[in-house]
Amino acid sequence: MPNTRRRRLLQSAAALGAAGAAPWVHAQPAPIRVGYAIARTGPWTGGAQVSQEPNYLMWAEQQNAAGGLDVKGTRRRIELVSSDDRSDVETCVRTYEKLMGSDKVDLVLPPWGSNANFAVAPLANRMQYPFLAPTALSRKLVEMKLPYFFLLLQQPAPMTTAVVEMLKASGAKTVAVVYVDDLFGLENYAAFKVALQGSGIQMVEDKSYPGGVKDLSPVLRSMKDKNPDAFVGFTYPPDTILASRQSKEIGFNPKFFYASVGTAFPLYRNVMTAQGAEGVLGMGSWNAKTSPAAKAYFDAHAKRFEGKEPDRWASGHCWAGLEILTSAVKQVGLDRKAIRDYIAGTTHKTIIGDVKFTGSENTATPGTVGQWQKGEFEVVWPPKVATAALMPAKPAW
Amino acid sequence: MSVTAWSELLFSGLITGAIYALVALGLNLQYGLMRILNIAHGEFLMLGAYLTWFAAVQLGWSPLLMVPLAFVGLTALGLAIHWLCFRRLTATSPNLDVFEARGLMVAFGLMFLIQNLVSWIWGGDLRGYDFLTEPVKVAGGQFAGNKLLIFALSLLFCGAMIALMRMTLLGKGVRALMQSPLGAQLVGINVRRLHPLMFGIGLGLSGIAGALLSMAYTISPSVGEPYTITALIVITLGGFGSMGGALAGGLMLGIVEALGMHFTNPSLKALLSYCVFIAVLLLRPRGLFARA
Repeated sequence: MPNTRRRRLLQSAAALGAAGAAPWVHAQPAPIRVGYAIARTGPWTGGAQVSQEPNYLMWAEQQNAAGGLDVKGTRRRIELVSSDDRSDVETCVRTYEKLMGSDKVDLVLPPWGSNANFAVAPLANRMQYPFLAPTALSRKLVEMKLPYFFLLLQQPAPMTTAVVEMLKASGAKTVAVVYVDDLFGLENYAAFKVALQGSGIQMVEDKSYPGGVKDLSPVLRSMKDKNPDAFVGFTYPPDTILASRQSKEIGFNPKFFYASVGTAFPLYRNVMTAQGAEGVLGMGSWNAKTSPAAKAYFDAHAKRFEGKEPDRWASGHCWAGLEILTSAVKQVGLDRKAIRDYIAGTTHKTIIGDVKFTGSENTATPGTVGQWQKGEFEVVWPPKVATAALMPAKPAW
Repeated sequence: MSVTAWSELLFSGLITGAIYALVALGLNLQYGLMRILNIAHGEFLMLGAYLTWFAAVQLGWSPLLMVPLAFVGLTALGLAIHWLCFRRLTATSPNLDVFEARGLMVAFGLMFLIQNLVSWIWGGDLRGYDFLTEPVKVAGGQFAGNKLLIFALSLLFCGAMIALMRMTLLGKGVRALMQSPLGAQLVGINVRRLHPLMFGIGLGLSGIAGALLSMAYTISPSVGEPYTITALIVITLGGFGSMGGALAGGLMLGIVEALGMHFTNPSLKALLSYCVFIAVLLLRPRGLFARA
């Protein structure tokens, strides 16, 4: 029968094809599936798309260009499984539940921000997925004592202590503080108050504000009336720029102007201009001068994203986390318990210097202060990691 | 507090309030006239802001040039959206209540569509540029040049809109439609022309507001939503359909927020706004400026 003959012919062809393809299938190990949820829409996007996701993408591309991630000597391609968490904690948690629970990805990368990490960390811990968080800043996260959770950024106490030490060493006597009324702002404000004790610096004004605020000038005007030596803002990127612009607007010119997240973003210099940003202090811990590896990362990032530079704080820590993960997988493979033990028990050499975890906290990276100087965000405190000397009085806006 | 400090505080409230008023006018036009509760109004503002940012940073155009261009562009977009969505809804809805409910659904869809479209085109990064940020001294106080410009232009466009409504035949037609849709049609006012035009002008105003806001604030695809909510509060304060009411409501809300933030705490800003909102709803449910 022609039909039977044709079927046999097809079966033979299929068998031959399969036989031919088989060695190729064996030669290509299955890809490593790395899952994450990140903000691509909503209010977290500004931070997530500067400090975090570009690094995830570049890491996967670089590893794949080298033949894949080194898993104890075997190169396996990275397949990123990602989705938009819409800046929504619930969506974020559900996505990670799916990634770890039903998709059973090999590894996960963290979401953006203290709030999202706070929500997802216990889940990742329960599922025993190592979690190297590059953008979480919260004492509470450390106190939860989650063995699979590691915080790459310096925490509120060392960061605020560095600010106070710098102010004290520069002779500041008074400070006015604003802080965003969420976990990040409240914890930093509390740590700052503790750091101020015994420093001889007096807090003359402190005000909280809600996220997404559109006008801070009434608060800044009352601070201007009190003429403090220093202004310290525990702020998010849009508010960092808002506070800076409105300080310029009303002529509020304290000798030290410190704002938090977003000061280290290249956007800050672009929006305020290099001259306007001159002398502004903020949370930052590295730049291309920190180490040759940091320079290589900086250049690769700018090249890959068509001139978009990484920010001088969390981006570097994010890349350091990916370096640690790469090295862990190379040493111990994909056994997540072994990866966790490797991360917890090793002093890691990264682009931001040594990273070592005490519990969940990175205790090797000291609290730092950055400052815009001639269009570059320099590390200016403490002197042992500084890339430039502190400019002790900010020029008027 | 010195007289200068008081005047600075009040004026900063008026600047914020003028922006609120401009955003609210467009929404008021759409809801007051057509009962389209355009939840996506803030997204069109965001679109205007992005177009201005793009023209200023990528093409090197003056943001001021983008104010009329954003108005024209967004008005044209408004006409297209009305033709594509709301014209059909008007034809198929059995009554105004059903139209309002369906229109709300369409507006929700538009909100997600525009927000994601902008994210897709320009990404989710914060954007901004430097324009007229140098402080200018006015009556003893000191304000950024761009804020003064925003204030002046917002008031100008609000004034123009109010004049259009009060002094032209077109405005008379719109007001007649607001008072009695059936009666207005009976005397020959063409709804098929007036509705799309007013919807387009409403979006055009949000485009202007976006262009102005991008001069003073950083923008992201999520920047529009809070303005929609504020605009809803403002038009409730001023009375649905009342242009003068929206202007006064916007300015009042701006001042209440500025004073509240100064004397209490910025964290209480939302609480203050909603207290005013609830008080007006309880005491003057038809709006502060509605005739009894």
